Amino acid sequence: MTQPSSVLSRAGRSPALLGLLGLVAFGGLLEVLPRIGVLPSEYFPPSSRILVALWHELGRAGTPAIPAFGTALGDTLTTWLTGLAIAVAGGAVVGVVIGSVPLLRELTASSIEFLRPIPSVALIPGLVVLYTDVVSTLVIVVYASFWQMLIQVLYGVGDVDPVARDTARSYRLGVLHRIRYLLWPTALPYALTGIRLSAAVALILTITGELIIGSPGLGENINLAYTALDAPTMYALIVVTGLIGVVANTLTRAAERRILRWHPSVRGEIPV
Amino acid sequence: MLKVQSLRKVYDGHGRQVEALRDITFSVNAGEFVCVVGPSGCGKTTILRLLAGLISPTSGEVGVEGRTVSGPPDGLAMVFQEYGRSLFPWLRVAANVELPLKAKGMAKPERAELVRESLAAVGLADAATAYPWQLSGGMQQRVAIARAIAFQPRVLLMDEPFAAVDAQTRADLEDLVRSVWQRFGMTLLFVTHDIDESVYLAERVIILSSSPTVVLEDLAVDLPAQRDQLETRSDARFVELRHHVYAQVQAAKNQSAAKTVG
Amino acid sequence: MNVLRRILFIVALPATAFVILWFFSADIRDELLPRQKRFFLPSLPKILEVFPDTWLLQRHTPAGDLPSRLTHDVVPSLIRLGEGYGLALLIGVALGVAIGSSRPLRALLEPVLEFLRAIPPVALVPVLFLLAGIGDTTKILVIISGCIWPILLNTVEGVRGVDPTLADTCRSYRVGGLLRLRTFILRSASPQIVTGARQALSIGIILMVISELKASSEGLGHTIQEFTEGFQYPQMWAGVLLLGLIGIVLSLLFRLVERRVLVWYHGQRVAERASS
Repeated sequence: MTQPSSVLSRAGRSPALLGLLGLVAFGGLLEVLPRIGVLPSEYFPPSSRILVALWHELGRAGTPAIPAFGTALGDTLTTWLTGLAIAVAGGAVVGVVIGSVPLLRELTASSIEFLRPIPSVALIPGLVVLYTDVVSTLVIVVYASFWQMLIQVLYGVGDVDPVARDTARSYRLGVLHRIRYLLWPTALPYALTGIRLSAAVALILTITGELIIGSPGLGENINLAYTALDAPTMYALIVVTGLIGVVANTLTRAAERRILRWHPSVRGEIPV
Repeated sequence: MLKVQSLRKVYDGHGRQVEALRDITFSVNAGEFVCVVGPSGCGKTTILRLLAGLISPTSGEVGVEGRTVSGPPDGLAMVFQEYGRSLFPWLRVAANVELPLKAKGMAKPERAELVRESLAAVGLADAATAYPWQLSGGMQQRVAIARAIAFQPRVLLMDEPFAAVDAQTRADLEDLVRSVWQRFGMTLLFVTHDIDESVYLAERVIILSSSPTVVLEDLAVDLPAQRDQLETRSDARFVELRHHVYAQVQAAKNQSAAKTVG
Repeated sequence: MNVLRRILFIVALPATAFVILWFFSADIRDELLPRQKRFFLPSLPKILEVFPDTWLLQRHTPAGDLPSRLTHDVVPSLIRLGEGYGLALLIGVALGVAIGSSRPLRALLEPVLEFLRAIPPVALVPVLFLLAGIGDTTKILVIISGCIWPILLNTVEGVRGVDPTLADTCRSYRVGGLLRLRTFILRSASPQIVTGARQALSIGIILMVISELKASSEGLGHTIQEFTEGFQYPQMWAGVLLLGLIGIVLSLLFRLVERRVLVWYHGQRVAERASS
């Protein structure tokens, strides 16, 4: 195999550099396409105009009709994180309880399979007539994220090594000890995956609720920009939601890696 | 048939350079059964991968059937050590054996016939519809061998194929390989770290030194063509040869140990 | 006996819940909701009573007979879902294989794709309406825009993780081109692809409904919204029920297909577990 020596392939050795190149190229593409008419520029402005709109949006003072960016961002983050917290706590507790009792697992398996695929948007009409905007959005956020967490925790509890479990039983370890040495180490990676998946779903549903139901937040601002035919602002806000998602994903993955680095694995052995 | 001349291979990874082979020269005639044996890490697998065209040499020549190797050569099949991972788990045994023949462009009835024959040759006629993961380790390796046979190769390379198999199964598989070789007459290059196995199986044993690797000796094995696990292994000549190979390998190991210390 | 026991466990909780709701849903609702809101949540028997007429049967109006909402609204929605999902599958897998097979391409595109996938699909609905107008094509585009990401990214992961020994086997036996793609790459990546496809299905159903909420003249989501705006709450809840049922049925169908496609994968995992 010969070694090519062009600059591009030297850059090819570094994935980070290539990734950056990709982002820049993408931004450049979105700058050029509207200008040359491939994309209709009144509906899809060039990226430079979107960035300018973003800048303006950040500094814009809020009005009763259109909340300020900071307020909207705060609303979105609040709804998202509140819903996530409820879903994660609920999913973890229910998951551990159901997962630890085989009878419960069997009884609830079919119900979980029935309820899980019900699309959260199906609940929107019912919720909207009964409750406020914010509550309705919160409900669909919690509903969808709960299942993500529950499923992962169930996997985790079910993954406890039978050999380790039998060892624990033969040494007559109490409940607290079993949780600490058996359940926690095995289930933790799954729980972290569950949190990551729940966070992603929760964010998406938060924006969805804000867009459709109209609860305050970035999603509502996007809708307002759309109805005002203010394309640059609309895209700017969409970019922001994408960035939040990317940041959330990166942070949770990094946290996962750090927490699991010092974490002992307990397959087949328990420190007694 | 196979010719390796002044072969050198250096692996370049993350700034470190590892010289897997320094100077390897040997040749194998058509239809011969040759074993390559040497201490762990001496690059035996590298030699096979070079012959199989999976990697290319840093310097030196690698030739199969008189042509320099520049990619997987025609008429050559390789059996890997990790049999479990060399079989496609989503294909049944018969489909696994059939795949290289499909790639060759062979017609369906011929393929079916070859598959049937080769599975019978390795004693797995009944396992055609099983999935690989339903079989034991020894049986999986037989499937890999059947796949190689069905390919009708002129050259067969085997990379420590029985290293991960239990002793009893290994004895059966060794006899299987010899019988396959005697029946089909291909050129067989067999890499192993098991000295007994190398003497038991081969007509010639090539002994490698430890890193930096060169050929220590090219030993002819003058045992009768009919080999038997019990009889041959207790034969006086076998013991002599084995002793000799063992001594060579040990000396090689001690030499390299002395080098690192001194 | 074993089969009976299994059926019992499957049915026990849902059947109990159903019976309780059948008899007591009105009472439970009255406990939870103040008087002025009870109108919005009919009892379960009421909802089920209007269900067939609303959704399943032909409609008789003074102006003439209309086809059932099943044919007029639900089926077109499902067809659009099928088309959008199918296209997302095709494009997602094709692109995923191309990107996953090339390390530089992957590195180049990964940040861009991660960003695009993080955008909530709902947010793109206004965008697509602006760009592609009102109509069936736009609705299908909306579904594709959400479904493609899990499929694409999971395919990339799956193609990346193919076993190197299998790759060597293909090389040394000179298995290449289309045969290699079909028999090796795609099948090796199929567990990952199926994971992506499953996520995409849930997203697809949601987007199918959302795409019909504005500027639409027919469809399941559109009809439910019509009922909401017309204060016809039993009919609306019947629609909600139908949507839930569709989600369940599609999920079951998916499971059936998955089990067949991945029979080797599950078998292999069981065998590995047993031997470790």
